[in-house]
Amino acid sequence: MQLLINIVVLASIYALIACGYVLIYRVSRVLNLAHGELMMFGAYLVLACSSLFAGHPVMALCAAVILSIVTGALVYIFLMRKMTGEMVLAAILTTVALGILVRGVVVLVWSSQQQYPAQALGISNPTFTLPGDGHISLWSLVLVLTNLAAYGALFGFLRFGRWGMRMRAAGQNPLLAAQRGINLHGVYALAWSLSTLTGALAGILMALDSGVTGSMPVIALKAFPAALVGGLDSLGGALIGALIVAGAEVLLIYYVDPLLSDVVPFLVLVAMLFVRPWGLFGTREELDRV
Amino acid sequence: MSAPLLQVEQIEVVYKRVITAVQGVTLAVPQGQIVALLGTNGAGKSTTLRAISGFLGLDDAVVTEGSITFDGAALQNRPPHEIAGRGVVLVPEREKVFPNLTVAENLAAPVARGTKARDRRPHEEHIYHFFPRLAELRDRTGGLLSGGERQMLAIASALMCRPKLLLIDELSLGLAPVVAGDLVRRLCAIRDELGIAILLVEQSAAVALEIADYAYVMENGRIVLDGDRERLKGHKDVQEFYLGKGSAEGGARRSYRDIKQYRRSRRWYG
Repeated sequence: MQLLINIVVLASIYALIACGYVLIYRVSRVLNLAHGELMMFGAYLVLACSSLFAGHPVMALCAAVILSIVTGALVYIFLMRKMTGEMVLAAILTTVALGILVRGVVVLVWSSQQQYPAQALGISNPTFTLPGDGHISLWSLVLVLTNLAAYGALFGFLRFGRWGMRMRAAGQNPLLAAQRGINLHGVYALAWSLSTLTGALAGILMALDSGVTGSMPVIALKAFPAALVGGLDSLGGALIGALIVAGAEVLLIYYVDPLLSDVVPFLVLVAMLFVRPWGLFGTREELDRV
Repeated sequence: MSAPLLQVEQIEVVYKRVITAVQGVTLAVPQGQIVALLGTNGAGKSTTLRAISGFLGLDDAVVTEGSITFDGAALQNRPPHEIAGRGVVLVPEREKVFPNLTVAENLAAPVARGTKARDRRPHEEHIYHFFPRLAELRDRTGGLLSGGERQMLAIASALMCRPKLLLIDELSLGLAPVVAGDLVRRLCAIRDELGIAILLVEQSAAVALEIADYAYVMENGRIVLDGDRERLKGHKDVQEFYLGKGSAEGGARRSYRDIKQYRRSRRWYG
């Protein structure tokens, strides 16, 4: 039972991060390699907000979430906007540079020591006991639920929302989308905001559960295989991919060796690349573009 | 006569700063008329159309001279979504629908500036009524449509932007003559009911001259001939080179000398 809970929690973490990769890739074919750093930035925003809104944990959390959406939009407007229409590789390298920059800023402002936003906010993290003698902490539970809500909302938005439709349209054929009056910059900025939002939610909830250090982006790096296993352009794929990667990781840690933890996602990825290089639910044609 | 809806004045388009594709092109599309732009491959028809719709920047091309005026506003070298917002909407030659979106979604995605959300639905129904076939295929994915259906969907989704001027690149390309003829008649109905102007770029003069009120013939990046439908239909060169009819003198093939003469006789603009 505990094993199952661990898998679900880890899968939720990976899935919530992976959908950020998928969103940006789907609309603009850009791999956001700064996703982990932006996620960590979200977690540190909670720290900053907790001192700003001392004594109002809910307000501090809301402020952090809103700020992370703004961060995503700003990243697009000031950095990635200039890269639209350029080579995708150039855009990807820009995200690498952004990642290094954000990491530097975080260390500079908040130091690289482990910090606990939950303490700063003055909220506790009780553990619940589930039937079957499994334990889950409050914030892990919230993370699992947030993940489900995020995927539900994203699916609904992309399928039925007019702007979601436009995002899909822009991802398929940006030229035609522009000709149909769709403002590509608006769509891309929206994708970056949503992606940073989901990433920051993952970062914030993880930080509330177990604190935050400068090495948090490593988790996002491990979520990347989850997105790839599912197929980079498929949201549902990211969910399944996260489940597979998390399952493999937890089981191997339990039955083989805890030291394998950092390697497992990439082993799964390599195995996947042998069998189905375009991912479980990805489109085959995407391969030419990567 | 009032100023035409679209006035293209002496434009020159240069690709990658060196290749001049279009030179001294002047054309006008009056309100509520169908104007055809004819010519063979590489004549510069599509380039002219892209210059009007703002698609040039992506191919590293610019309008270096002349002006494009639509409804009193200058359009040259503006971004495509802005031009679409002003009411100039293009149906491109290739990749004209979103392949992974259903027919209904293809119609829902376009932005219609200045239209309220509740006005969208009646407009959508209105457009389905021009293309009843699309209404049957609402839930079909765009990529699975046949060539004719795809062209219908492309026109329908362009109409969702509520254009004042519809630009159509190669309406009949890859379509059976029956299908193309059917589409052309629908276009006429659309023009009459919605009161929009249409600029039709075509290789097939037979199709275009069926409905166009006025037509221009392009060659080597210039306009060499223009006139209303009857004049062009009756024009000897158009009959010979674009309608594929034999020459008046007993239907014999023309000799090289005659073609040379044709080259001399055509009119150069600019």
